[in-house]
Amino acid sequence: MRAVFATTLALLALPASADGHLDLSVDLRLIGADSRTSWLDDGLGKLRFDENHDGLQVGRLRAAWNQAFGETLNLRIDASLWRFSDHHAFDLTEAYLEYRPYPNAGWRSRVKLGAFYSPISFEHRAGGWTNPYLISSSAINTWVGDELRTIGAEYSLEWLGTRLGHDFDLGLVAAVYGWNDPAGVLMASRGWTLHDRQTTLFDKVGQPGIWPVPGRVLFKEIDQRPGYYYGAQLRYLDRVELRYLHYDNRADPERFDPGINDFAWLTYFDSVGLRVETVNGWTLIAQWLGGETAIEPESGYEEWKYSAKFALVSKAIGRHRISLRADWFDTDHYQTSFPPGDTETGSAWTAGYSYARDDHWGFAIEALQVKSDVTSRARIGEAPNATERQLQLQLRYAR
Amino acid sequence: MLALAAWATAAGAAALVVKVARPDGSPVAGAVVLLHGPPGSKPPAPAAFVVDQVNQTFTPDLIVIPVGSTVTFPNSDKVSHQVYSFSPTKRFQLPLYRGTPYPPVTFANSGIVTLGCNIHDDMIAYVVVTDAGWFGRTAQDGSWTASNLPAGDFRVEVWHPRMREATDAIVRPLRLDAALSARVDVQLTRSLRPEPLGVKPRSWSDY
Repeated sequence: MRAVFATTLALLALPASADGHLDLSVDLRLIGADSRTSWLDDGLGKLRFDENHDGLQVGRLRAAWNQAFGETLNLRIDASLWRFSDHHAFDLTEAYLEYRPYPNAGWRSRVKLGAFYSPISFEHRAGGWTNPYLISSSAINTWVGDELRTIGAEYSLEWLGTRLGHDFDLGLVAAVYGWNDPAGVLMASRGWTLHDRQTTLFDKVGQPGIWPVPGRVLFKEIDQRPGYYYGAQLRYLDRVELRYLHYDNRADPERFDPGINDFAWLTYFDSVGLRVETVNGWTLIAQWLGGETAIEPESGYEEWKYSAKFALVSKAIGRHRISLRADWFDTDHYQTSFPPGDTETGSAWTAGYSYARDDHWGFAIEALQVKSDVTSRARIGEAPNATERQLQLQLRYAR
Repeated sequence: MLALAAWATAAGAAALVVKVARPDGSPVAGAVVLLHGPPGSKPPAPAAFVVDQVNQTFTPDLIVIPVGSTVTFPNSDKVSHQVYSFSPTKRFQLPLYRGTPYPPVTFANSGIVTLGCNIHDDMIAYVVVTDAGWFGRTAQDGSWTASNLPAGDFRVEVWHPRMREATDAIVRPLRLDAALSARVDVQLTRSLRPEPLGVKPRSWSDY
């Protein structure tokens, strides 16, 4: 990953054309929460801002640089600050080079090299992998932002049927990557969560040394075995998009890295998503993700099965938008030795309103309620059942 | 479906009304009508056209131009565009940086050219290049009118970018007599594709 960073810096040193573009944004929040202690602060709460973080908070400070090199090569660097007390307070969420040649006879290839998001989420379609529908992401895509990043190479091939007089476009994607061996540790130790924070490339997540989520390094190569994903996308005009992705980091679950005090987590899943948009401003997004993560310490093989789904309905009326989302999620821990593993089941409702005054100023309000039954809470002296509520006001400025 | 009706005109020359309708009979506005004249009739002279990029939209999003015409693609947006066409009629790629003028593109062959932007996939536009002597687009009531036509054998071609017909264009032969007016009714057999949803917010990207 250091190599990725060095390459990025080297490219920045190249003589830049006039076609560079800097995005800066500030996102401030006013929080009111009735919740368990956040997973970010040694608890098993589901939220980013728990009741100890009521009041004014930094949502996100973001700086992104987009630099074109000639016509078909583009460098994108995205850096954010989510909390001043984070280990690396201002750090990269993505940094990659994209090669996007002009389409030929209806076919277009695209190559990405660096650190970037895999094509899973239909929620995150604004710059900086931002969700324009609601402040907090679905459980599925919150996890994607927490634990997954493609640090490697991705190739995609699209057939632009709509440019040839057909109703459909088709796309295939495949990637090979490393440095994602710890992915799965958060799913196993704290389960699903709902928030907008994204783990940065060099950061550690959670308070150092405190169970159940000690300061975790999430992007590290442990077993020298590259992972892969492949997927397909079908688009009907500009109305309906369907995506499938199969992800497998091919980690060796027996390997342990004492440097970060963590195993290589063998993580694989399938994800299916659908987005429908109508001419009168309605959007429907539905997604399902299910898979497993496993480690094999000397005490025996341990496996966590997880799945989640959500449905989001959103209506845009001019500069106003209202959105409603329902999430359902569960995890199940299986181990060869006694006692039986922990389980989690939960569901959440999220409702929000946002107003984009212009290209610069935006305002949003969101109410979120998540009910969860997490058996491992008993081990930190909490009741397994919890209903957590959070109200967020967001003020955004971008230039 | 095609219906022909002829009636006498006051003037000596022939006139033609082409009316395009959906399967349910409602009018199709914006359909391209190309009227190819009898042998010897001359197509209009080539001219210079402009398709601007405004608010991540090709403006206009459809032009009909005589063979040999040129089109200039300025960029009035703050962001760059990369206009392309992989249509066999005219293949080209044109990076449009902010405020940088580019030479006009010449369209030497007749046919339909689909334009896209390699950066903004929602952007789509059409250049219809034709050697037809008369052409235009239907009005809100679905009709297009040509007058002062000579007598002889004509060919009417109707095309719409959102058309789903089995053929690329609907072609109708037509015989015009001097001092008569004719009417051609073209009814589509399939519904049009829905209109595009429009421009996405500028801050949106593709993930």
